[in-house]
Amino acid sequence: MKALCWQGKNKVEVERVNDPVILNPRDGIVRITRTAICGSDLHLYDGYIPTLEAGDVLGHEFMGEVVETGSEVSRIKRGDRVVIPFTIACGQCGFCKKNLWSACDNTNPNAWMMEKLYGYSGSGLFGYSHMMGGYAGGQAQFVRVPFIDVGAVQIPDGIDDEKVLFLSDIFPTGYMAAENCNIKPGDVIAIWGCGPVGQFAIRSAFLLGAERVIAIDRLPERLKMARAGGAEVINYEEVDDVITELKWMTAGRGPDACMDAVGLEAHGTGVASAYDYAKQRLKVAFDRPTVLRQAIQACRKGGVVSIPGVYGGVLDKIPFGAAFGKGLIFKMGQTHMHSYTGRLLEHVQKGDIDPSFVITHRFSLDEAPEAYRIFRDKKDECIKVVLDPWQEPIAA
Amino acid sequence: MTITTNLAGKKAFSHRPATTNIETVLTLAGGAALAIYGALRRDWFGAALAGSGGYLVYRGVTDLRRPYQGRVREAFTINKSRLEVYDFVRNPDNWGASLREPKFEHDGQNNVTLRFGNEDGAEFSSRVELTDEKPEDFIAWSSDDQMIEHRGVVRFKQAPGDRGTEISIALEYKSPTGPISNALAALAGLHPEQLVREGLRQIKQLMETGEIPTTEGQPVGARGISGTTKRVLYHERPAIEMQPEQRLAGD
Repeated sequence: MKALCWQGKNKVEVERVNDPVILNPRDGIVRITRTAICGSDLHLYDGYIPTLEAGDVLGHEFMGEVVETGSEVSRIKRGDRVVIPFTIACGQCGFCKKNLWSACDNTNPNAWMMEKLYGYSGSGLFGYSHMMGGYAGGQAQFVRVPFIDVGAVQIPDGIDDEKVLFLSDIFPTGYMAAENCNIKPGDVIAIWGCGPVGQFAIRSAFLLGAERVIAIDRLPERLKMARAGGAEVINYEEVDDVITELKWMTAGRGPDACMDAVGLEAHGTGVASAYDYAKQRLKVAFDRPTVLRQAIQACRKGGVVSIPGVYGGVLDKIPFGAAFGKGLIFKMGQTHMHSYTGRLLEHVQKGDIDPSFVITHRFSLDEAPEAYRIFRDKKDECIKVVLDPWQEPIAA
Repeated sequence: MTITTNLAGKKAFSHRPATTNIETVLTLAGGAALAIYGALRRDWFGAALAGSGGYLVYRGVTDLRRPYQGRVREAFTINKSRLEVYDFVRNPDNWGASLREPKFEHDGQNNVTLRFGNEDGAEFSSRVELTDEKPEDFIAWSSDDQMIEHRGVVRFKQAPGDRGTEISIALEYKSPTGPISNALAALAGLHPEQLVREGLRQIKQLMETGEIPTTEGQPVGARGISGTTKRVLYHERPAIEMQPEQRLAGD
């Protein structure tokens, strides 16, 4: 089959690799009909995630048709149309039983690596480095899905692929980030980053009853999309100081919750941002926590800082005094996908939201290397790329 | 409660429970102080004190010279009842062949074999006796082996809350290998501590999910030079890049 393999920093290639086979009794094989490039794939592309190796198949947002199931699979049948959550969960450990699905004890075959770095290991993820399990990802024509009975979301006929594809990651991620904001009537939520997760977070915050959402970014097309979702916007390159601006817009209270939907490759203006850049280039730090600092500083007293953006290493110059002084609540982590997929599918079916609004580009799998470049460099007003693994490239 | 882990007529390990460095230091210092004070008193009571001080010094010194080279302590919480976990672990037929590496074989007559790699792979055999046991509580063993001596206890405890069972292994071993081969073994994931931890983890996975999650045999692109060398680190077997027969998934 064809699969997109990482081949080093800034280099991905479509290669011919073996088809996946059933390796364990609870596995299933899915023929992928649609897959997407996630913002967090760009962290891999840019080489910021350790233990990713040349030859690893990328991709953790995908859906398709089940073509084969292992001997212990019962709920999911051959021929089912399914969306697969990007976190893999066993459904039986103490963490899964407590609905902490992305903290599953059992699904990371390389748990020892993550234990060395983080103390304990989270669940396995598709296509996201050896440390996170080393599972081959879904920017390919087929994928092997472990514990398919636990994760797969069955999609009834009559709903377009593109409307449900994002149940695999960004919609639940944006939704959980909004839920983590503990939204109460009248709340004002500030969201840094209007990429795909930020866009879903904006709409989810309104679904959960937020009064106002203030979205912060620098790219006009993203701010335009945020505005279309009902948010007020700040272009941080056009204002003196985001924090003062937020204070002004909330009449001195500060946002009730601040969301960092950017993570470790934040852009910014000013000295702090340049300092983060330098440290990352010198490889003394994985992360550029520019947004996290602003979110902590801007948040109202007793408010929530919700962090769906990915961080990897040890951060410094975090204003912890401000966090303590204001009594902030921090909520973060990989999405507990399995708690949200069913609920959000209902929202899509009822027409509360059409997740395909976020798609700006469609490519064949063969064009994926080009798609990565366009998405990374934010060329051509690109916000979200969807790939069709079976379409022949038009130019070929 | 005393758990017996020594074999009759064998003096491989100290019979005493393991002591910490602090205990050893305190024993030595306290023993020395008592002995000196006793000797200075120059009476019968002093002689008795000096005698017990001397005994403490002897204990401290033998602690320091204890002939083990390593200890391993690992514990996991398994989301199953104590009886289920005990029954499962007590019979190696339940899990020995399923372990990713090494395979654990037991011939029913006290001979245990750890097999690395496939049928022709390296193997390490050991004669093991269960020295003590209490159902649903603990299993203790000791080896009668020339190359690597080992002995230890597996314990089963109910976890607090509704979390199942805490299973722990504490073992000590004496091996002829030095620090360099130990470091190499650790790199390849073959250090005793890693073997015990990953073995226990896999038993947990088997019990909770019915399988041991793996990526071995999944599709992979060209690894290149650096990726190929790092395969040892990731415990990735070679040859999955180039399986001869191509097949279409779903056939």
